[in-house]
Amino acid sequence: MHTTLVIFGFGGCALFATSYYIVQRTCQTRLYSDWMASFTFWGWQLAVGLGALSYMFGYTQSREYAEFEWPIDILIAVTWVVYFTLYAQTLRRRSQPHIYVANWFYMAFILATAILHIFNNLAVPVGLFTLKSYSLFSGVQDAMTQWWYGHNAVGFFLTAAFLGMMYYFVPKQAGRPVYSYRLSIIHFWALSFLYMWVGAHHLHWTALPDWTSTLAATFSIMLLLPSWGGMINGIMTLSGAWEKLRTDPVMLFLITALSFYGMATFEGPLMSLKSVNALSHYTDWTIGHVHSGALGWVAMITFGSFYHMVPRLYDTRLYSVRLVYVHFWLATIGILLYITAMWVAGIFQGLMLRSFDDYGNLAYTFVETVAFLHEPYVVRAMGGVFFISGVAVMAWNMYMTVRQSRIESAEIEARIAAKMANA
Amino acid sequence: MSDKKARSQGAVQTTGHAWDGDIQEFNNPLPTWWLWAFYATVVFALIYWVLYPAWPVGGSFTKGMFNDITFVDSDGSVKTTHWNTRALLIRDLKEGKEARLSQEYMSKVADASYAQILADPEMMAYTRSVAKGLFGDNCAACHGAGGQGVIGLFPNLADDAWLWGGSIEQVHKTIADGRYGFMPAFSDTFDAKQLRDVASYVLSLSGNPVDGVARARGEKIFQTQEGGCHYCHTPAGTGLKSQGAANLTDQIWTIADVNGTDDPAVKLERVEKVISGGVQRQMPHWSERLTPAQIKLLTVYVHELGGGQ
Repeated sequence: MHTTLVIFGFGGCALFATSYYIVQRTCQTRLYSDWMASFTFWGWQLAVGLGALSYMFGYTQSREYAEFEWPIDILIAVTWVVYFTLYAQTLRRRSQPHIYVANWFYMAFILATAILHIFNNLAVPVGLFTLKSYSLFSGVQDAMTQWWYGHNAVGFFLTAAFLGMMYYFVPKQAGRPVYSYRLSIIHFWALSFLYMWVGAHHLHWTALPDWTSTLAATFSIMLLLPSWGGMINGIMTLSGAWEKLRTDPVMLFLITALSFYGMATFEGPLMSLKSVNALSHYTDWTIGHVHSGALGWVAMITFGSFYHMVPRLYDTRLYSVRLVYVHFWLATIGILLYITAMWVAGIFQGLMLRSFDDYGNLAYTFVETVAFLHEPYVVRAMGGVFFISGVAVMAWNMYMTVRQSRIESAEIEARIAAKMANA
Repeated sequence: MSDKKARSQGAVQTTGHAWDGDIQEFNNPLPTWWLWAFYATVVFALIYWVLYPAWPVGGSFTKGMFNDITFVDSDGSVKTTHWNTRALLIRDLKEGKEARLSQEYMSKVADASYAQILADPEMMAYTRSVAKGLFGDNCAACHGAGGQGVIGLFPNLADDAWLWGGSIEQVHKTIADGRYGFMPAFSDTFDAKQLRDVASYVLSLSGNPVDGVARARGEKIFQTQEGGCHYCHTPAGTGLKSQGAANLTDQIWTIADVNGTDDPAVKLERVEKVISGGVQRQMPHWSERLTPAQIKLLTVYVHELGGGQ
């Protein structure tokens, strides 16, 4: 429920919105079809809403991030094919000779997500009028397919697509050219190629064959620098205009997001090594890692993008820049509390679970390691409160921005009407 | 102006494209450190592939080299294989430093009698070390991490009262074979007045002030065939260990939370409820789940926990 709403509800909506905005601005053309855009909006809302409802009634495929039962899977597939068609057709209608890098990433995300979603959800329904179905795969192949999907949901949904967001909003907000076209090509292809191999690192030390584990671990290590390519390109774009960080809180969001992105993509390959994974897996270190990605990267880059995009969509200015600062600090403090608490919880629980006493026996029982987690969990809850308060501040700011736009346009219309009457 | 500075100042050429009015791209070369670090990760992967099982080839896979594992398999044979997690686990479980140390003590304890274990401080220290984990993983879910139990549900193992006996042999039997604690429900036998009378008598056994008349009537029910309570709880009220019947003369209460209130009326009510509803409690047997040596260690641990008899 939580992961579905965060990844598909929040992340998905942010990606649909920004991708439609960016593709139109960078291609200098209108969307291929308005009804298709509406269809993807309602199809997606329906899928996520039905998914959340069905979980509450106990219907789930029990595949992480792919819990939707088969009828919802079909709805998602249809919506996605429409999304792909709409996006590709809009690109074809562009009035620019070249396709901007942000669109490569969005296109890779749309294509890869289609492939991942369809293959991981291949299943035979028990009956036409039941929600239950059985996967086409079994045993270790089933686990392998699930995590090939699971990790690439992170890779293409939460990384590649949000890099697309970054590639538009960072240079646009900074008013500076992207640092290196060459780097963007190299890291795009390296990222796309390497990501597909690494899913098995979620299954280290299981029934999975050892060679599969090795390939996943080594490809994860090789993925580090291609991931960082995006961070370098984003942060270096600001080189020569660093003073913007002092005056522009939107820029602050974008650059902080890239810093968390760099940190999480360093942590990821580290945790994918078998020896590190033996300590980190099944502990809160993993939870900390995904939240430095989800809160630090995905959410922060989205906040920055929204602060840039929403006033332009409504042809006005932000209601309050000061509130953007407030949001920034609430979010940053929240994330830092959250991930440090999870590092402490995860690493220490991992160490407790593997420590021995003088007689060669395990020094702690499982329940003692759980009792230890109490205090880190309190800090985590505090981090969460900071973060969600920041979101509330943003919601208020956005609402007031839209309201202000309405008032402004009403004033203008009134003035025009008055002039017309005089004339 | 250095080359690096020139780049950051925008002296480097852009690609000449522009999107959305003002988005352009420099064509800076790849950062040198980035490129070399990327090569380094590739070299790391290559070395890894040489050393460990890595690539599927035909129906098999490359096995890796220079790190064969020699281990004693479950059938006792010594085997040498390429690196793999199964062999690694078997070797660690049998030959790891901690595993050896623990097994050495375990075999010593397995051969020793209870008397020998109790008399040997080192074996006792080992017992505490192993059994703390065994207790935490198997017993604590019901009896609590410190064996304190839950009133009304699970007996306290950390006090001096033993429902089924506190000797080593009795504790051993309790753990190995399990126990079934049963007291019949008297709701159909006694009316409300009789329930009150018996409860008054029961409370008086441990020195609680009660109504004397009710107590006398209760005593008659308790000690005769009318209630038959004395069969299991004994005429003195100290309880038959063989039946797991509670001692009613001490201040320890395992079902009715008498000590949890100061109000005599509530105390009476709580005892009445137990007499009326009866008791059914089951402790599972562990002889199939734990080894004889583990049960032995747990017996000593639990015996010590509550000041065994």
